[in-house]
Amino acid sequence: MNDKRLKFLKLMFYAVAAVILVRLFVIQIIQKNEWVAKAEAQHTMENTIKAKRGEIYMMDGSEPVAVVMNKQVYTIIVDPMIIDEDELKNVIFTDDMKDNLIVELSDVTADKSLRYMVVAKNVSREQAKKIEEKDPTGVWLKGMTKRVYPEGTLAARLLGFVNDDGEGQYGVEGSLDEELSGKDGLLKTIADVNHVALSIGNDNVKIPAEDGKNVVLSVDRNIQKNVEKIVAQKMQEFGKDQASALVMNPRNGEVLAMVNLPSYDPANYGNVDGAEVYTNRVTTDPYEPASVCKGFTFATAIDLGALNAQTTFYNNGYEMVDGWMIKNSTYGQSNILGVRTIQDAFNWSLNTGSMYALRAIGGDTTQINEKGRKILYDYFVNHFGLGQETGIELFEAKGLINDPIEGDGRDSMYANMTFGQNMMVTMIQVASGYASLINGGEYYTPTIVKGYMEDGVLVEKEAKGPVRRTVKEETSAQMREMLWGTRSAQRSYGVDRDGYYIGGKTGTAQVIRNGAYSMDEWVATYIGFGGRSGEMPQYLAMVRIWKDGETTGAEQYAMPVFNEISNYLIDYLKIRPGA
Amino acid sequence: MRRHRGDRIIVAMALLLLFAGLIIIYAIGPMRANFLNAAYGGNISENHFFVRQLINVIISIVAFVLAYKIPYEKMRRWGKWILVLGVVLSVGLWLLAKVGSGLAKCELGACRWINIGSFGSLQPAEFLKLGLLMYLSQLAASRKAEGTINKSDFWLPVGVASIVSLFFVIVVQKDLGTGTVLIAIVLGTIFASGVELKKFALVLGLILVAGVGVIVTSPHRVERVRTFINGDGADTYHIENAMIAIGTGGLTGVGVGNSVQATGYLPESINDSVFAVMGETFGFIGLGLVVAVFVILLTRVMRVAELAADSEQRLVAVGVFSWIAVQMAVNIMAMTGLVPLTGITLPLLSYGGTSMMFVTIALGITFQLSCYTKREKEMKQAKFSNSHLKKRRLNENSRSRRR
Repeated sequence: MNDKRLKFLKLMFYAVAAVILVRLFVIQIIQKNEWVAKAEAQHTMENTIKAKRGEIYMMDGSEPVAVVMNKQVYTIIVDPMIIDEDELKNVIFTDDMKDNLIVELSDVTADKSLRYMVVAKNVSREQAKKIEEKDPTGVWLKGMTKRVYPEGTLAARLLGFVNDDGEGQYGVEGSLDEELSGKDGLLKTIADVNHVALSIGNDNVKIPAEDGKNVVLSVDRNIQKNVEKIVAQKMQEFGKDQASALVMNPRNGEVLAMVNLPSYDPANYGNVDGAEVYTNRVTTDPYEPASVCKGFTFATAIDLGALNAQTTFYNNGYEMVDGWMIKNSTYGQSNILGVRTIQDAFNWSLNTGSMYALRAIGGDTTQINEKGRKILYDYFVNHFGLGQETGIELFEAKGLINDPIEGDGRDSMYANMTFGQNMMVTMIQVASGYASLINGGEYYTPTIVKGYMEDGVLVEKEAKGPVRRTVKEETSAQMREMLWGTRSAQRSYGVDRDGYYIGGKTGTAQVIRNGAYSMDEWVATYIGFGGRSGEMPQYLAMVRIWKDGETTGAEQYAMPVFNEISNYLIDYLKIRPGA
Repeated sequence: MRRHRGDRIIVAMALLLLFAGLIIIYAIGPMRANFLNAAYGGNISENHFFVRQLINVIISIVAFVLAYKIPYEKMRRWGKWILVLGVVLSVGLWLLAKVGSGLAKCELGACRWINIGSFGSLQPAEFLKLGLLMYLSQLAASRKAEGTINKSDFWLPVGVASIVSLFFVIVVQKDLGTGTVLIAIVLGTIFASGVELKKFALVLGLILVAGVGVIVTSPHRVERVRTFINGDGADTYHIENAMIAIGTGGLTGVGVGNSVQATGYLPESINDSVFAVMGETFGFIGLGLVVAVFVILLTRVMRVAELAADSEQRLVAVGVFSWIAVQMAVNIMAMTGLVPLTGITLPLLSYGGTSMMFVTIALGITFQLSCYTKREKEMKQAKFSNSHLKKRRLNENSRSRRR
């Protein structure tokens, strides 16, 4: 009969089977690696094992205390398709959870086709545990850590904050972000389509997370707190709205307090008018500190043997340099004119005195010369570290010390620099340089990190020691005397208690507005040291206070702040009076 | 015709496939249960699918034995009624779906199953396959004997039965895959019955035209064809993941229980896509064996046709051959990206009761027929010697015509 047709059907089937076999050979043998790669891309689940962010400590006397901590919080996610409405009502949409819920129950039940919905945030560990125990259908808890600040706004501009992406911003959180965040681990597994890890295969990889370091700051919580309080009180009293203060140990460069006001609440860091309030001005905001820099100028001249405190010069009340009339702030007070000592120039903050010093440095007391400028530049930059990053463990701005040779008007520029104008430096640069002026001439890199908490114990980092000599020991001794003398000669004489050796210098800077120095906008600075009579200074403090558009004189506004800080430090550091 | 021993290779191959299917379901059933539980919050136990499949296999073996034991002479009278039952069930399913009854089981807008409580579900299309196969074989054999095979006496009933069946499967149940198998059964049977090639070619042409018509009048089918060609549609994910499974298997496979694709990446892992999971598990060697077993099985089925005692038996065997061959080929070729996805099971291997049971019934009948085949020697000299059978059939046909 139709055998041929049956044979035809059979052959057709064989042909199809052959096509299938060839196709299988191509897929399984020839293209195997391609498909394996696709499978791996699809099956491999890479989970980062989150490293725990390190906490931040301050010192409380000799004990570290946490000022930035971590808290475990949970986000609640539901699968509207499979949830049980009554269960949800009883377990999650409770009064207890009121503050955490971000949607209404009706929002969840409105669209049953959804598979993912965040219903609550910032749920505490206790609440999460309660929910977990009841194990509601279609509900997940996603854990995450949040920064908490037990001290509130204290030192916020020093500490910085952590943004929603877990990145440290500003302050210590920003500059030590890498150290604090540690290194995330990796879990690489074959997972099913719902991302549940499978035990199939042995290519699973687990790299444990390296938790971030718990950083212990050298900042003393009590000093920080009280200095903030003093500064805030004075700001209010004086009607000033911006102030920064810095307390250091001049013997090793450790920062004991770093204050920037106004502050903000790092827990609600978004609640600010602008990013300006996040900045740590002490290290990132270069400015002209004015006459406090006379200390650097005189120290340079003394160190070179060009003059000493008793050297005399003629104070004319002003000098003409490069055709510019550079006046003293005491211009017009005729009783100061005439032959004066360098100490007088320091006491009355005579710009003519510091300009004389520059001429003396250049070896020609009749005019400023290139040699003088070059030496002053060398001392300012290479000895005192002005206009350079100090190397403190914080974000820093470099500032600017202009070149002594290149460019026009160098003489007038350097004349200005002798009293701290026409240059940009940060408070930390000035304070670190000053520390070396009074501690015997040794420059310590300023530091804010004392060490690390490891298993609840403070492991101090190795002390670095001085990095260079800035001036001779005798120069430093003379500078202490000059600063003591200046402080004693100033109006505030008498505020310091007997038995303490306290010196300091004011600086009132004109502010550049629209490219020219404004006559009615000043920033006040005071830098001073203190300690037991007959001993090396135990603390160095620097204050900067101002309000935009106002004249803020150093003696009137910055010095009183220092006085209070100084008195507080004597008490807190339990410095006994000397002979 | 004297009864002799049946072709046991058919039984052996069928059992091999059933057994291989069981192993796979045993290995991936827990994954499937786990996936469904996670996705829909259900509570399906780990061995649910294996136990169900084991029951299916046992039922199917019983069905095979029954189909083998009950004399074909008796069964052949049921063919027409199985076809009628298939149509009635199809109409019933359509009505149930229309009124939104829970008895109609629908997936993605296509209602293809009738729920029958704890027994699972019933697919009317399977009745249509078996019924059409048996009915057409009888019709063609008797018309052939009458010499009216090329007349409307034959074509009209064939056309009506086929078009009605295809209407329900393709248009109402939107099941182009099963429709393809039905067409294969119809075409295989009439091709082997000895119709004029010219007429057969005409039918083939009509079906192609109708096929194109069916596709272009349905936006979702146009979309399917388009995405098959462009590789960017919903099915693309399915096919891609089937090929990932097959490709990952390599030469020897990843081993039983180590399939990752079956943990939820591959849709329909235990039913339509079971071939891909087997590829991942057993590799090229395993799939080669599966294809080889099918080839051996179908070669033996075709041998029954070649040596059949009469033309009705021959056409039954050809119908079974066409059914299993096309269903297997369409399933495997979809899994390997050679043809678009239509959503049909792999005979004897896929999870699911109705499909498996009807295939084993068809094979049981074939096995029974293999007991009545002529020896190949006889075949060589075979003339049209089955006169008594022919006579009886003539009587029957005249009876049916009197009705």
